[in-house]
Amino acid sequence: MSHRSPLIFVIDDDELFADCLVSAIKKGNKSVKIETFKNAIDAMNAMGDPLPSLIFLDILLPGPDGFTFLNEITSYIDTAKIPIVLVTSLELPETDLSIYNIQGILNKERMKPSEVTDYVKRYTN
Amino acid sequence: MQSEVNGIFVTAHELKAPLSLMRQLALSLDPNDPAETREYQARMVSVSERALRQVSDLSKVARLEEGLFTMEPVAVRGVCDEVASELQYLFRFNSKKLHVKYSNRHKLVIANRDLLHSVVYNFCVNAIKYSNSSTASTLTVSDHKSDNIQSVRIVIRDFGPSLPMDIYQKLAKNQLDAPTGISFRPDSSGLGLYIATKFSRFMNANVGAIRHRDGTSFFVELPVSNQGTLFA
Repeated sequence: MSHRSPLIFVIDDDELFADCLVSAIKKGNKSVKIETFKNAIDAMNAMGDPLPSLIFLDILLPGPDGFTFLNEITSYIDTAKIPIVLVTSLELPETDLSIYNIQGILNKERMKPSEVTDYVKRYTN
Repeated sequence: MQSEVNGIFVTAHELKAPLSLMRQLALSLDPNDPAETREYQARMVSVSERALRQVSDLSKVARLEEGLFTMEPVAVRGVCDEVASELQYLFRFNSKKLHVKYSNRHKLVIANRDLLHSVVYNFCVNAIKYSNSSTASTLTVSDHKSDNIQSVRIVIRDFGPSLPMDIYQKLAKNQLDAPTGISFRPDSSGLGLYIATKFSRFMNANVGAIRHRDGTSFFVELPVSNQGTLFA
């Protein structure tokens, strides 16, 4: 059986911020494969084999927003279980999002890179 | 009153983004990785310079009526070259390009150099933010004639989502009086657009946008200055 590196999606239209996330992810797991997307449609189209082990998702995206992506991803049995961490500057109540597979919410103004690293370690090692 | 409150809200949101990014970059600095540290420092400088420029532009908006900004003959090419050079790093970092093309016979326009610089800068930053990856935005300077008035037109064309119709109409009807959330262009208050519009109007320049299927062109038209034409 071939061994594949875990895959992580970063969906954020702010490329500079996405780059910070990528850097923090690499610190959590050097062997992880990372794909970044600036919008939800490209990310949805890239879903395939293998599926991502974890998704970092921004809410305010060009075109369909993060919530549209969440609705789409939870509509399919194979993608519904992918753990998702929201990374946003919006203030979101965590309880309202329990129907999606949200593992945590990182506020862009308060988060630390180590929190990203912790999620990566938890879901890819 | 409501639009003023909305304006303050969206402006605060726009200014929050570079601060959040600066914080992330500062927290990501790793003393054991000097190469990465140097790269992050360069980014922090670039992001903070952009934020400072935004704040400085906002203070200029508030002081436009105080007569601090005199109109004078300005060499368009000098301003555009300066902006292109300042934003070179940001374009490169975002895997984007800016092509500058000059076809203007008239070299001087009547403007305030500082304000014109801000107008071109804000339109170019907009192009970085909203153009698709690996596309090249263009900054074109050409002569323009309308109602027998000679002007120089500066156009910044990006290749990304088109400008929403409501913002386009506000621009066309001269009604963009406060930063407005741009729904199809999220993470933006339209602050740069608002600043550029304000400054352009102060300089009696014609400002507007052209919607394309694959992006937007923002333009500003400034009256030609006939001073110094003997030397041109």
